[in-house]
Amino acid sequence: MTHRTFLGVTLGGLLLLAGAVGILESGAADVFLEATRPDFQKISLGVVGIQNAGGPDWLGGRIEEVLKKDVKRSLVFDLVDLPSLGIKVREVSNGATAIFKQAADNGVSLLVWGKASLKETGKEADATMEGFVYDSSSDEVVGGKRYAGSSSVIRLMAHRFADELVFRYTGEPGIARTKIAYVGEQGAARELYVMDYDGYDPRQLTADGFLNLMPRWSPDRRFIVFTAYRNRNSQDIDMIELATGKRWTLISYGGLNITPALSPDGNFLAFASSYEGNSELYRLDTRTKAVQRLTVNPSGDLSPSWSPTGRELAFTSDRGGGPQIFLMSSDGTNVRRLTFEGDYNAAPAWSPRGNWIAYVCRTPRKEYKLCVMSPDGQKRMQLTTGPGVDDSPSWSPDGRHLVFSSTAEGKSHIYMINADGKDLERLTFEGTHNSAPAWSPAS
Amino acid sequence: MGKFICTAAMVLVGSVAVLTAGGCGKKSLQAGGEAQSAQQGAMMKGGTGGASSDGAQSGVGSNFPDTSMQSGSSSGLMGLDKNPSEERLGAGGGGMLMAKADSSGSAGRQLEDVRAEQAASAAAGLRDVYFGYDSWTISEEGRQALVRDADWLKTNLAAAIKIEGHCDERGTSAYNLVLGEKRAKSVRNYLVELGISASRLSVVSYGKERPFCEERAESCYQQNRRGHLVVKTAK
Repeated sequence: MTHRTFLGVTLGGLLLLAGAVGILESGAADVFLEATRPDFQKISLGVVGIQNAGGPDWLGGRIEEVLKKDVKRSLVFDLVDLPSLGIKVREVSNGATAIFKQAADNGVSLLVWGKASLKETGKEADATMEGFVYDSSSDEVVGGKRYAGSSSVIRLMAHRFADELVFRYTGEPGIARTKIAYVGEQGAARELYVMDYDGYDPRQLTADGFLNLMPRWSPDRRFIVFTAYRNRNSQDIDMIELATGKRWTLISYGGLNITPALSPDGNFLAFASSYEGNSELYRLDTRTKAVQRLTVNPSGDLSPSWSPTGRELAFTSDRGGGPQIFLMSSDGTNVRRLTFEGDYNAAPAWSPRGNWIAYVCRTPRKEYKLCVMSPDGQKRMQLTTGPGVDDSPSWSPDGRHLVFSSTAEGKSHIYMINADGKDLERLTFEGTHNSAPAWSPAS
Repeated sequence: MGKFICTAAMVLVGSVAVLTAGGCGKKSLQAGGEAQSAQQGAMMKGGTGGASSDGAQSGVGSNFPDTSMQSGSSSGLMGLDKNPSEERLGAGGGGMLMAKADSSGSAGRQLEDVRAEQAASAAAGLRDVYFGYDSWTISEEGRQALVRDADWLKTNLAAAIKIEGHCDERGTSAYNLVLGEKRAKSVRNYLVELGISASRLSVVSYGKERPFCEERAESCYQQNRRGHLVVKTAK
């Protein structure tokens, strides 16, 4: 790190501290002072193997593959390639001290192994999986899990086990069982879909035949709010219940009704509507059904994104000419501008950790890319580069990943990326246009 | 102060709703709405899109369920056990069942309606207005096109038109909806200046969600940056 950078970081850190202290005293804004840990030590973990204990040849390998990818994506564990360390066994029995010693000697903290079976019992296939963990720091098998279910939940078993590992070693639920809602294309129509966080098992939610856009989750994952063009000539903000498919209309003012977002406690729906002339922000109290107007100006205000405490909103406004990101308290007071670099900054998404706001930034070469900025405006990073239009960033509940749409490879598809811009992974491969991804809360 | 007015209005609306017997109480909500101060906004006054015929006139749903975070909704993660017992996992992805999409024939109807509109618009020979990048200003060419469209409207006095605002694929989906609306309103405003009654002109924005072409080239981008005029058919 150069001298100047070091100074910059220190000054930045001091400013951040000073700013945060000042803000916390006034109570007017939220900035989480998350300890950013660029040198966070991942826990080294080796997956010995998931053995077949009865069933098709692909079974153990499939679960192992899902488990390894989940572990790697969690960014909590460093997935170790055991054979390259000379650990070539594929099976572990609980008393296998030799392999445990090998692991400890090679600096591997955790060993994971298990077995799976799949029986076709007439109509229903019965699948089981069990997994165990050895921790070299305490030199013991700390425990395991056993799952049973139909063949349709085989991937879920691996995901759940991965989440248990993350929970054990961080105290937070993992993201392997989260979902991503998005908009897919059906002919000329755009409809809502939900898929697993790794792109598997897409399910269609709506079939209205025109445009359903901008899905967002309720905090308990039971509902999705979205913009619906039910009759082609106007939009409503609708809500759908995932377990039943039931729908309600929440907002049906004249004009544009777009970009709905439920607060982290589910008590408010922030949204934009142009029924009073131009696009303004409002919040609907979901209990009393009262609507409060938040912005009053002749420009366009839209795309509200709640801070994790629900006390603040980030949003897009073109009151300065072109679209820029602004922050305000969730009652509409204390409006201040966040972005000053570039002439087009839009689609903000506030991380659940509070420490970053992701958004779409237009570069001097007129490319639409992903950027992140700290809520105090001090730190800014461009996360993506290259061709194509990147849009609609949405954070994972652990705040370590973003999902977004990009036309980098031709058609619009959905991608995942780490919050530091690494490990870009494509999630959708089918369909002609996939956009507007929204990452569900953790369960 | 705003909160007080809101609460007072709510009480008024509530009591009027109670007094009016049964039903959705659309009329009572409207009466209550008028009692609210202008600052809170008259919720039932539609903007330019026209009130939807099926929603509550107040513009806010009245019967949707509580979306508040249920306390104690746990992940169900139980931790690792030395002697794990079997956990049975439910179908459909761990407790979140997903309904099949409702194919009530709505998609087919939409397609038919769009086709009818397209046919009527083609017959009328209405001209569209094209816009510059990031812009909603009407060019000289656009003005000429609208003069001809206004002539048609003055000859066909029973006709109503819908002005769709469109954008090219660049930019965010959300902001392009706002930009599309600005374009549609520019067109509407100019037609009103030319003497067409605003009640015959509705606007809607499709942003970049219903493009006319998909190529990644300026020739296609130009095609998509437009105000598209559509003759409204009988439905």
